[in-house]
Amino acid sequence: MRIVVADDSALIRDGLAELLPLHGFEIAATCSDVTALTDAIAAAKPNLVVLDIRMPPTFSTEGIEAAKAIRVAHPEIGVVVLSQYVEADYALELLRSSPARCGYLLKDRITDMRVLAEALRRVDQGGSYVDPELVDLLLRRRSATNGLEQLTSREREVLSLLAQGLTDRGISERLWLNAKTVETHVRHILAKLNLPIDTGHNRRVLAVLTYLRDAGVSDRCP
Amino acid sequence: MTKRAAQAAVWAASAAIGIWLVLDVVRQRALGVDDPGLYFVVVATTVAAVAANGVARSDRHAVLAVLMLWWLVAAVGSDAGVMWPDSRLASTTYFVFTGVVIGAYVHMALAYPSGRVEGRNDRLFVVATYTVALAWIAIPALFYPGCTSCAPAVPSLAFTGSTFDYSGIGTAFEWIFIVLGGVFVGLIVGRLRSWPRGARLTMVPLAVAGLFATVHFIIRQAAILTTWSQASAALDWADRINLVAVPVAIFVGVLAVRRRRGPLGDLVVELGNAPPGQVRAALARSMGDPSLELALWLPDHGGFVDETGAALDVSKHVGGGRALTVIGPPERPLAAIVHDDRLVGQRPVLEAAGSAALLAFENARLQAELRAQLLELQASRARLVAAGDAERRRLERDLHDGAQQRLLALGLALQLLQNERPDARLLSEAQDQLQAALHELRELARGIHPAILNEKGLQAAINSLIDRSPIPVRTDIECDRLPSPVEIAAYFVVSEALANIVKHAEAQAVSISVRLVDDRLVIEVSDNGHGGATPNAGSGLQGLADRIGALSGSFRLESPAGLGTTVHAEIPCASS
Repeated sequence: MRIVVADDSALIRDGLAELLPLHGFEIAATCSDVTALTDAIAAAKPNLVVLDIRMPPTFSTEGIEAAKAIRVAHPEIGVVVLSQYVEADYALELLRSSPARCGYLLKDRITDMRVLAEALRRVDQGGSYVDPELVDLLLRRRSATNGLEQLTSREREVLSLLAQGLTDRGISERLWLNAKTVETHVRHILAKLNLPIDTGHNRRVLAVLTYLRDAGVSDRCP
Repeated sequence: MTKRAAQAAVWAASAAIGIWLVLDVVRQRALGVDDPGLYFVVVATTVAAVAANGVARSDRHAVLAVLMLWWLVAAVGSDAGVMWPDSRLASTTYFVFTGVVIGAYVHMALAYPSGRVEGRNDRLFVVATYTVALAWIAIPALFYPGCTSCAPAVPSLAFTGSTFDYSGIGTAFEWIFIVLGGVFVGLIVGRLRSWPRGARLTMVPLAVAGLFATVHFIIRQAAILTTWSQASAALDWADRINLVAVPVAIFVGVLAVRRRRGPLGDLVVELGNAPPGQVRAALARSMGDPSLELALWLPDHGGFVDETGAALDVSKHVGGGRALTVIGPPERPLAAIVHDDRLVGQRPVLEAAGSAALLAFENARLQAELRAQLLELQASRARLVAAGDAERRRLERDLHDGAQQRLLALGLALQLLQNERPDARLLSEAQDQLQAALHELRELARGIHPAILNEKGLQAAINSLIDRSPIPVRTDIECDRLPSPVEIAAYFVVSEALANIVKHAEAQAVSISVRLVDDRLVIEVSDNGHGGATPNAGSGLQGLADRIGALSGSFRLESPAGLGTTVHAEIPCASS
């Protein structure tokens, strides 16, 4: 798997360039800003781009803009955004533009290569990845009317993994359940939360995440 | 009654009285009447009318003057029946005014000094007097058939055609009048007793009216009890004297107050009311010297300036019929007036006027200075808050770009090491510590300044706060992007309020409303907890109030014990 790494910090670029090959990834190029990234993508034709959310010149959320642009220009290239922020709005913005081949990962995860590697593989296989800490935050949130109270604890576990972007098979492996059981759980969850059942996997991830995001803040006063 | 209408009424009444008096004298002389009573009445009425006109010169007493003249007109008008005894119109006028004059007298006396009858009792009494007097005179007006060698000799225009002996009713009315007289004296005495000492001068007319009513009352009583034969003449003279006494007393009362204040007092009042830039003009007007110059001493400048602040060399203006009056000690003057030297005799007045002008100036200057200081203070508070915010933002960035990047690089290095020595237990412990440090750093940076506020605005930042709230939150947020200081202040209101609720309120639900109302951002955070919160000094709430004050907004905390807490803040949103 050929990867382009974009980060304005040389320490991080070099570290990743050294570490990723040890886990079976090939570094196609590294670059420090969006312009260089665009050139590198055109030249190296990578399978995947890993980029920091903060990039020059304003060091705010250029990374998300760049990721969205890449997904539009190169639908075959997956994008993983490394973020300093546990913010649902950022993850949703990214996934809404293209739920497939997209990942929103806390930057801390690069200190645990197993997590990063899983995210990269899942995105490369056409899936989506949402950082567990963000999903946890949304699930922890209590709301009188968010609908989550109807779920059993097993269903909540499944929901959490669903929101992180795991497929039914991924969930069954993670929870040591057989695929049929997971499928049943997923159907129940979607029905209880009034979410559509027949959409594709990545659309479903987005729907679940949107649901979780809105559950806490959408019960607006009239 | 408007000022214009009052003036017109005074003129019309004075003219009517004047014409009447001339007619009266001419007619009575023609009849051969030549007694001191006639001349006394003419003189007294004239003096009274002049006094009323004098009172009318003060705008504030115009209504009172109209009431005085109304009474005088009624008093002389009731003579119509004697002047033209064979005219039914004159007879009618006689009856009407004979009644009116009683009410008008009471009205005038009790309307003193304001021109309005104040107080419910006084008003009731005035109405009662008019009513009784008109009822009293209505009987002869309706049933008097006329009689030769009487005045009037013919019935009124309202005569019913029938008649009866109404002398008994007349006696009953006499008694009612005696009672009314007693009440009137009581009202006057009550006023004299209750008025403050400073109002003594203004009491004169009331004292006279009261005295007259008392004397009249006693004579009447004496006449009734003793069948005193001279009573009628005595009452006539009491009436004649009264004709001049009360108007002159009112005039004296009004004049005395004006005198006490004097022209200087008027000037001070005028200068006090003069708009900035008009003080010189007001002074020139009141001194009657249009070319008068007012110079103010500026100690910093070491010279005089005029009203507009332009330097003024007073020595150039002196001489050639112009004189200088310096206000304050000569070595340290406060101000100076350049004026016509014929005003030298008025120096004490000029000095006092100059001091008054100086006061007016000082007042205006202090106010302007205070306003400028307040504006400066407000701006400086806003700058302080903005500087603090900028500092927080910089700190947050530094944490991300500096410390966090280094820790992450350290994490990568640890993994490389671990790759070489997969069995090193310490390395994996270090990894865990590093994760914890990164997590803490992230939360710290977020608390210092949430990056999402800049990026996505208030609504997204508040949603992010709600994502982290352990208590269910209802929201009603309607706002687009706002000026950054407003967004930051609003964010911290919600953030601090939420933090307080989680920490102290034991609430089950929170509701947040953020709306733009007429260019003001209105933020309300309320919970259903136990209330009783106070914005103690040094607490986050006090800091919030300061922050919002710096943006000229308002902050209110309502926290009745047992009824939850509401934080209400309003911030003006004019782009800044």
